[in-house]
Amino acid sequence: MKKILLSILGLLLSYSLTFAQSTTVNGKVTAVSDGLPLPGVSVSVKGNPAVGTLTDAQGLFKLNVSANATTLVFKYIGYRQKEVPVSTSMMDVQMDEEQKQLSEVVVVGYGTQIKQDLTGSISGVKAKDIANLPLPTFETALQGRAAGVFINSGSGKLGQAINIRIRGISSVSASNQPLFVIDGQPVISQSLGSSTEPDNPLSSIAPEDILSIDVLKDASAAAIYGSRAANGVILVTTKSGIQGRTQVSVGYYTGFSQPTRKQEFLNAAQYKELFGEAASNMGYDAAEEFEAESGTTDWNENYDTNWADKAFQDGAISQYSVSMNGGDSKTRFLVNGGYSDQKGIIAGNKLNRANGRINLDHSVVKNLKIGLNLSLNKTVNYRVASDNAFTNPLQLNAIPSIQAFIDPATGSLNRSTFYYNNLIDLVEATNESKQFRSLSNAFLDWDIIPSLKFRSEFGFDIVQLEEEQFNGRETLDGAPSGYAFNNQVRASSYNTNNVLTYTKVFDKHNIELLGGVSFQEARTFSTSSTGQGFPSDKFTKIASAAIISAGNSTETGFSFLSYFSRANYKFNNRYLLSGSVRVDGSSRFGSDNRYGVFPAVSAGWIVSQENFLKESTAISFLKLRASYGTTGNSEIGNFASRTLYGASPYADQSGIVFSQLGRPDLSWEKTNQLDIGLDFGLFNDRISMELDYFNKQTSDLLLNLPLPATNGFTVITKNLGSLENKGFEASLNTQNLVGDFKWSTSFNISTYKNKLTNLNGSTIDGGGRQLGRISEGEPYGYFYGPKYAGVNRENGNAQYYEEDGSIVDQDDFSGYSQKVGDPNPEFIGGFGNKFSFKNFDLDVQTQFVYGNDLYNIAGFFQSVNGDYFDNQTVDQLKRWQKPGDITNVPQARLYEGNGAIKSSRWVQDGSYFRVKNVVLGYNLPKSFISRAKIQNARIFAAAQNLFTFTDYSGYDPEVNATYTGNVNLGHDFYTPPQARTITFGINMGF
Amino acid sequence: MIVFLATLTTSCDKKLEFEPRQNIDATTALESSSDIRSAVIGAYSIMGGGALYGTNLNILPELLGSDNYVRWAGTFQSYRQVANRAMLPNNADITRTWIQAYAAINNVNNVLENLDKVTDVAEKSTYEGESLWVRGIMHFELVRLYALPYDSATPGANTQLGIPISVTAVKAEETAAVKGKRNTVEEVYNQVLADLTAAISKLPEDNGARADIYTALAFRSRVYLAMGRYADALADANTIIDNPRFRLSATLESVFSNKRTSEALFEIEQNDQNNAGTSNDGLTTFYASLVGIGRADLRVNAAFQALYPANDARGKDLIYTGVGARPGNLYTGKWKTFGQNIPVIRLAEMYLTRAECNFRLGSSVGNTPLADVNVIRTRSGAAPLLAVTLNNILLERELELAFEGSRIHDLRRTKRSTGAFAYNSPELVFPIPEREIRANTELVQNPGYL
Repeated sequence: MKKILLSILGLLLSYSLTFAQSTTVNGKVTAVSDGLPLPGVSVSVKGNPAVGTLTDAQGLFKLNVSANATTLVFKYIGYRQKEVPVSTSMMDVQMDEEQKQLSEVVVVGYGTQIKQDLTGSISGVKAKDIANLPLPTFETALQGRAAGVFINSGSGKLGQAINIRIRGISSVSASNQPLFVIDGQPVISQSLGSSTEPDNPLSSIAPEDILSIDVLKDASAAAIYGSRAANGVILVTTKSGIQGRTQVSVGYYTGFSQPTRKQEFLNAAQYKELFGEAASNMGYDAAEEFEAESGTTDWNENYDTNWADKAFQDGAISQYSVSMNGGDSKTRFLVNGGYSDQKGIIAGNKLNRANGRINLDHSVVKNLKIGLNLSLNKTVNYRVASDNAFTNPLQLNAIPSIQAFIDPATGSLNRSTFYYNNLIDLVEATNESKQFRSLSNAFLDWDIIPSLKFRSEFGFDIVQLEEEQFNGRETLDGAPSGYAFNNQVRASSYNTNNVLTYTKVFDKHNIELLGGVSFQEARTFSTSSTGQGFPSDKFTKIASAAIISAGNSTETGFSFLSYFSRANYKFNNRYLLSGSVRVDGSSRFGSDNRYGVFPAVSAGWIVSQENFLKESTAISFLKLRASYGTTGNSEIGNFASRTLYGASPYADQSGIVFSQLGRPDLSWEKTNQLDIGLDFGLFNDRISMELDYFNKQTSDLLLNLPLPATNGFTVITKNLGSLENKGFEASLNTQNLVGDFKWSTSFNISTYKNKLTNLNGSTIDGGGRQLGRISEGEPYGYFYGPKYAGVNRENGNAQYYEEDGSIVDQDDFSGYSQKVGDPNPEFIGGFGNKFSFKNFDLDVQTQFVYGNDLYNIAGFFQSVNGDYFDNQTVDQLKRWQKPGDITNVPQARLYEGNGAIKSSRWVQDGSYFRVKNVVLGYNLPKSFISRAKIQNARIFAAAQNLFTFTDYSGYDPEVNATYTGNVNLGHDFYTPPQARTITFGINMGF
Repeated sequence: MIVFLATLTTSCDKKLEFEPRQNIDATTALESSSDIRSAVIGAYSIMGGGALYGTNLNILPELLGSDNYVRWAGTFQSYRQVANRAMLPNNADITRTWIQAYAAINNVNNVLENLDKVTDVAEKSTYEGESLWVRGIMHFELVRLYALPYDSATPGANTQLGIPISVTAVKAEETAAVKGKRNTVEEVYNQVLADLTAAISKLPEDNGARADIYTALAFRSRVYLAMGRYADALADANTIIDNPRFRLSATLESVFSNKRTSEALFEIEQNDQNNAGTSNDGLTTFYASLVGIGRADLRVNAAFQALYPANDARGKDLIYTGVGARPGNLYTGKWKTFGQNIPVIRLAEMYLTRAECNFRLGSSVGNTPLADVNVIRTRSGAAPLLAVTLNNILLERELELAFEGSRIHDLRRTKRSTGAFAYNSPELVFPIPEREIRANTELVQNPGYL
């Protein structure tokens, strides 16, 4: 976006006037930070801005000035404005990076704005904040850095979908993920694969292609995206070519990773102690029982295996990237290429990505520019089984430690384990998910007249996903003769935007008017087949299968036709007014409700421009802003409004049956959001702060209204419910030290209070062993179930709370359920510090989540005082043994289910504080590298998830077992932890 | 670049029309003869599902009468509740059977409403007959499970609550939201008889794998028997037995290992691809204990096996010792492969119905009760009886139709108890599903349930 502004500036300044009596001034502009030349800096005469020029690629400028010109003004986006006396000798101008963010350019829907003129709420990150971080996927860059954005990676598996919630949770049955827009086009971000755990198509986007990520949070910012903006909008802008000498940069980093945390399980001696006692308490002989259940005599052997550790491997990461960028006044280009190879920390998990991008733009004539962004990526993910599958390596921790890892009889992996030794899958099974993605768009910028611009964009996003799975005959899922599954998915989306923008400045009025139309059509095709019965494990393709046991092909799609407009008005540089409206039509909406209207208004008052504050030395900036508007959620399914028949075969005859009852007026879910904000800067913006209060009221929630089944249908989906999210956000940036030793701090914290206000009287339960529940008057997904009351000191029985608050033994317990937790955090945030001294820089970014509860479903099996032969967590050794013992772990009783019912026993505080990223860099001295014709060189060490502080006793508090469904947040079930990754690397520019 | 401008102007409403591809809109689903035919077959596919004849209409009546007969050894709580006669209104299987039966009924109610789309007179008559038959038997299955039994001692006065009768085609919310009341058991039986009688007048002599006139007669015979209308039950059974098309198979085992034998009056068609289930649903899944096949959840009591006479293939061969899951116990050999057809009603039952009715009426229409019972016995190698009592006939019925879903129904209609539960014990009546009570405030729950 920088370049657009530059070209506007360039246009304004290009007709430099020459005077009769003039002198020529020469000079070079460089950056203070790294001494590199700054191209495109505007240079003008003070008091006569019409006389000016831009620096060239070497930072050089030449300007004819009249004899009476005394001072030159240098302006460059992101740098502090500088005034330098005119000198006849070669001027050496050094510009300092602007520390205040108010003049930053922020990407907004269909345009850009200067931050200080914003009336909406937008947060984000820039390329420099995330450079060289070993990010699993680019969205995680927002974690801890953007106020109001709650990110839960869910697990440490590579390439998995992650949970992103902007300002709370605003839907029950539709999606809660924000809309992703890359270079103006909404992209495919929903899982396409067939696994029960969603994959993440965004993992194919290379972080190093990204210039900025901006998160539109309030209605004023987001409503321009209408029916798709209720969960917020994430705008991603890719880098583009910069005019000047061709710059080549190469980067490389490599490193290793380990689990952030491991859980401790009983070793063989402890196992025998606990289970020996559990058996004898019930009058059993442990060895006999173990033999009966496992079919082995391992109880009497002397093996001691740390099965939990076998789930992990040493992770590794390497990334190679090369970038070229340059061009002349006619044509600019950027070429990026990269390869990243990640070996995950979970046995068998790998992800590699190859990516290429060309961004080109060309000025056809002075007022007409065309451009093309082309990218091609390939991702190969060697996936790990779903959390709840026996083949999930983490489930190895259930295997008794008294069983051998290597079978001494065969010398290979033990196949006689209590549960499936899923490491066999690493050898005899594959589960590969390949994704090819081309995300490309073309654009045209036409300055019809200087105040009226037209931009047209056409984008195309194609994702081709190929899932291939083979399980050999001796694997759990491949028995008895081999199993193969192949799934091909092609998702494509094309999108056009056509936008007219009119800007006018007269007297004290600044006006920007924008109007446009957009159309998107997306389709998804899938074809799959399943084969069973292979001659041997050497045959792995379905062509060799004896039985083609399943085959399928499906197609679905949707379209959006949208009209939008926005007006921004600024008066006297201090009063801001903005309004926008979008009309969205979609194939997803019922025929009686095809179009929705989504308006928003906002206003701002830059108080610091008022005379009474203008002279204040303390308050350098103060702005009040407020917005209100409507956004929608259209992720309601493609055909939810329709009454449908589907095919239903009867042996070899084809039949049809009703598959859905719909309503022709079914529409988007609607969110009305109020945002009140205050931005201020103190002491020349050394301290700047943004505060926001938001109140999001969502109505027309899609809910299934139960119908009497006696009429043939059980539910109808209607716009029925409502919920709210309210919260505060604050972010603070300070320049603690300036000068040679620089120290800056950023801090943000945000809250959301979620409450279901109307569910039409119904509740939605997480089901099975899960505790999640959605119910009126309560936050989304709160935990609901029996409340554990510890252990009866006299007899070792588990105890629970009854409705009247009394505590009873399990045998007498009525099963009374109550609220036992809340997976929603009380607040989240991040705290970052950047230091630099001479050539060194250090960036430490932390992240915290506070006040959320987690529920470890695996507790049913692994923390249940020796109820069955699953290996137990070490804390179970604290079991009750004799009258008078005070403990939280009931008496060990084999098969007795003492304390084994669903309850709050496995609910824990999930708060954590994490040192998310640390980057220590060193810029090699110019004197040293220039001999090798290197412009700049930087070596660095980086760490991801370096330290985690939490009371949670499971693997990792950043957890979300997605297979449990949307209702169950903060559930953990053998879910792999995050990786702690340490990398070392180098970047060089030529 | 002109293209961009062109899209600006050509974009229009038509772009927002997107048709689903795996489904079709209900407004265009029933337009032709073949559409109607598909919808009729659709009803069979629902009936073949696990909620109905594919699993539950067999297993649930068996488990309700499980005493000294069969033991539920599986982990599924919903079946365990039924076996323990401790059902909860949220029981998943009791819920799905209710839902799917009414789904089948609505599918055929929509067929009946759209019969005018069928031009061929014979076809139209067939579809109408099949639809009425489906509607009739589904109401019959439900009223037997979700209501107190029909008391043959008070014919015409069975005012105990039955189930809501559904005879209107529903395809929009307005009608789908109507809160129907429970009709009396009497009213439901009258509706069932009316539908089956009309079906008999519409169905063809032979309809391939689908219901024909004899299928409907066989079911009507069953309904009459349940009502204690023995003469009527006898007449229908006799009509079928008299038809030379139907013959007992050489062995009972062959009825289950072959498809559509001469003994079959109605079977649910299955094959290896389309069946009620192979891992969590389906009769073979729950009954079998073979290598790699079956969960072995329903275990046959040794005491029940002992009821079979010596050399009776039904006790000797059709009950086997499991070799798969839960090995070493006894299992029925009627359900051994996933893709096998499921006989729902077969000729042997007609013989036993005729025998019972003749015995009760003191007649010997078609043949004597003794002869009819012995036909069944000798086929399986059991020694023929020399004389019969009603108890002999009823026992023969238990032995012959074991694990075919008639256990509790036969006990209740003959007012025999099972274990500690009297035939009309409320514990033997399913609760109206909780979700249904919530969705329809007009429904009254069965006694003993909250």
